[in-house]
Amino acid sequence: MTKDDAVKVEASRSGQELGENAFNPLVDVYETEKEVVLVAEVPGARREDVLLRVDKGVLTVEASTSYETPGENYARTYLGFEPGQYFRAFALSDEIDREKIGASVANGVLTVRLPKAAAARSRRIEIKTAD
Amino acid sequence: MAMFRWGVNFDPFAGLRHVQRELSRLHETWFGESRRIGGGPYPPVNVYESPEEVLVQCEVAGVDAGDLDVSITGETLTIKGTKRPPPDEEKLNFVRRERGSGAFTRTIVLPDAVEADRIEANLDNGIMTIRLPKAAAAKPKHIEIKPSGPEEVRP
Repeated sequence: MTKDDAVKVEASRSGQELGENAFNPLVDVYETEKEVVLVAEVPGARREDVLLRVDKGVLTVEASTSYETPGENYARTYLGFEPGQYFRAFALSDEIDREKIGASVANGVLTVRLPKAAAARSRRIEIKTAD
Repeated sequence: MAMFRWGVNFDPFAGLRHVQRELSRLHETWFGESRRIGGGPYPPVNVYESPEEVLVQCEVAGVDAGDLDVSITGETLTIKGTKRPPPDEEKLNFVRRERGSGAFTRTIVLPDAVEADRIEANLDNGIMTIRLPKAAAAKPKHIEIKPSGPEEVRP
C-alpha cells in the first residue's frame, strides 16, 4: 500500500446519515490467516471522497463521486449510471484489531485491510501424548 | 340507469389484485430500497452528445488502463477490457463475492459520424471518458438566409 492512496479511518460516535438514495457498492470480502480484506467498488471516487468510520463494531463506508458530467449543452443520449454517493455498513467481528485498520483507494476500488488481533489468529496446538 | 364503476364494484379478481399489490410492495421493500450498481450490461455507459462531439463515459472500477481496449469501426465504438481477479485467487477464502472478474465487451452505436483520428480516451478513478469529435459532415452547418430584394409591387 503506497502512502499516497491511503484513506484515513475515523473512529467517531456520530455521523451524518446518508439518504436512502446512496448506491450500495459491490464488495468482495476475503479472509486470510492474518486479516480480513474488504474490496469495494467506488468508481469515480478519489481518496478524499472516501470516509471510513468505525463505531461500536460497525464499519461504515461512505464515498461520493467526483467525476465531471458534461454540462447543459450536451444532450443525454443514453444514461447507464449517474454520479452520487456510496454507502454500506459492515459488522466487525471482535477479533478485528480496530486500531490497525488500513485502507487505500486506487482506480475506483477501495481496499480495506482489517487485521486480526494477535490473540485471534489461529494457532497450532500441540498435542502432547502421555507416555 | 344505475352507473357502476366496473373496476371498483364488480372486480372478480379484487382479492387476487390485493395479494398482487401486497407482494409487489414487499418486493419493493426487499429489493427496491438500496440502489445497487452493476447487474446490468457491464460496464455501464453514458452517452452524451453536443453539436461538436460525442462523449462516452464508462464505469470500469478496478480495470487498469492497460487492460482496456477502445476501438472504432465506422460509427460503432467497441470497449473491451479485462477485470483481473485478485492475485492468488484460488488461495483466498472468500466470504462474499459480488464484484466478479473476467473479460467484457460493450459496443455502442454512435449517434453521428466521428473523426476516428482525434478520439481521446482518459481513465480517472475507474471512470473512462472517451471524447469523439464529430466529423465535419456531421456537424450542424448554418445556412445563410439571403434576404430577397424588395419585391415589385404590382398595381
